[in-house]
Amino acid sequence: MPKNTLKYTMLLVLLAVVAYNSVYFKRLDEVKASAGPNAGQPFDAASYASAFWTNKLLPATAKATEFDALLSLLKTDKEKAFNTHSHALGIGNIRYFLVKGTGNVTAVGDNDITILLPSGESVKLATEYIFGNAVRDASGLIQITEFDNTMDLNNVSAELNTIIRNKVVPPLKANAKPGATINFVGAIELNKAHLHLETIEVIPISVEVIR
Amino acid sequence: MHLTATTYRPFLTRFQSLIALFILCLGISLLSDKFLTVANFWNVLRQISVNVCISTGMTLVVLTAGIDLSVGSVLALSGAITAGLLRNGIPIPSANLYIGFTLLGAMLAGILTGSALGWFNGWAITRFKLPPFVATLAMLTIARGLTMLWTEGFPITGLGDSFTFLGTGWFLGIPVPVWLSGLIVAMAVLVTNKTRLGRYIYAIGGSESAARLSGVNIDRIKMAVYTIAGGLAAIGGLLVTSRLDSAQPNAGTSYELDSIAAVVIGGTSLSGGRGSILGTVQGAIIIGVLNNGLVLLNVSPFWQQVVKGFVILLAVIIDKRTEKNE
Repeated sequence: MPKNTLKYTMLLVLLAVVAYNSVYFKRLDEVKASAGPNAGQPFDAASYASAFWTNKLLPATAKATEFDALLSLLKTDKEKAFNTHSHALGIGNIRYFLVKGTGNVTAVGDNDITILLPSGESVKLATEYIFGNAVRDASGLIQITEFDNTMDLNNVSAELNTIIRNKVVPPLKANAKPGATINFVGAIELNKAHLHLETIEVIPISVEVIR
Repeated sequence: MHLTATTYRPFLTRFQSLIALFILCLGISLLSDKFLTVANFWNVLRQISVNVCISTGMTLVVLTAGIDLSVGSVLALSGAITAGLLRNGIPIPSANLYIGFTLLGAMLAGILTGSALGWFNGWAITRFKLPPFVATLAMLTIARGLTMLWTEGFPITGLGDSFTFLGTGWFLGIPVPVWLSGLIVAMAVLVTNKTRLGRYIYAIGGSESAARLSGVNIDRIKMAVYTIAGGLAAIGGLLVTSRLDSAQPNAGTSYELDSIAAVVIGGTSLSGGRGSILGTVQGAIIIGVLNNGLVLLNVSPFWQQVVKGFVILLAVIIDKRTEKNE
């Protein structure tokens, strides 16, 4: 056999082997059937957020960190406070905490409600600017791998914030008068590198006005 | 022995990149205790692997007195093609057919895409005598647009553990991307130093007309070089996509600048004909160490760009002075 023929035959065989191991063919209807009924459907962030709110986030509020205890830990051992109690989906200094507490309303503003805690510290519950990823990420129950793209992930945040604006904030604003006692659970965002404990704002998740 | 300018100047010229790297490492290690650690060592090497892949191809291009501004966009498109085929395959509803791609198939498709775009660059430059700057600038836009079309502007994620092993895995105690970029560098060194193609590349960069008169097929060599550069950018794209487990439509933005910086800092002349792959590796390490050091020292990202710009400027000034002295 001439040398060139042998060379090209071997090359052809190699190409055939590579091609055989590179692609496969299936019937499209079989692939669609095995992918499930929701395959190819756009992600429904509102439904996801609603289910997450009811089935995961509200049950998780029972395990929220006491705000007073967290504050004192942040002042004495920042590393431990962040390592033990914070969550975040990405890397970086911005971390989120799920916190709870009880206190007395001292002021009701246009944008927030100020609460005096038993320790003497004050905290603000946001009532106007409900934005960001704190509520989505604070519980640590959402994994980034659940989503096909970051747009879906961000839409979940937006929908959770909408739930708070529609379900949590209106009764809070209606009932929180100066002097009232409030039990709250909420999410906060802290920057590990630039920690400002005096300006913490809690986004409310669950609020109970006692009297 | 009495040291004079004539005795130490050749030494400084030859080892300028290594000396710069040594001074950089010394400075950062004095300012940050996290720099000289094993974990950070592997971290830096893993981070520069992508730039090493791209810069190796860029060195070949620059050695022919060319430039390739499209590598960042080619990287993005290749990564997106691989991710898209791996995740979604190609459904053909009219034939009720689904063409699925294995890991090998999807990766080969990505590399072929990058090589094809590189070949197109070479073809446009040689066929229409376009300046490489213009031809590859056009490809930068074309490839980025194609990436947006292919991904519809969304990241493609969830590519599987086998694929992410390429960018995040370890083999024999060394990160897989480091193995891969090392292999590419070794092959490129072999090609530039020991093959006819390598000699022709240097010859074209040294004097294109002299090379043509010597019988070198200039167009063919240039097309080969741009095709290789596209293929290596594609491999860089596979590493980025694998490391992030996600093909981002805006991946690789401004990677061409880091790549050109590594080439220039490594001592390759922008006029062509002078330089080496190993010099480029040193340049890529300097860029990587500089990036890493600035992050460890908490320097603002905006200042990082300013510092990197000045380092590149300094490298070009040194290059010009060296050229003048020679």
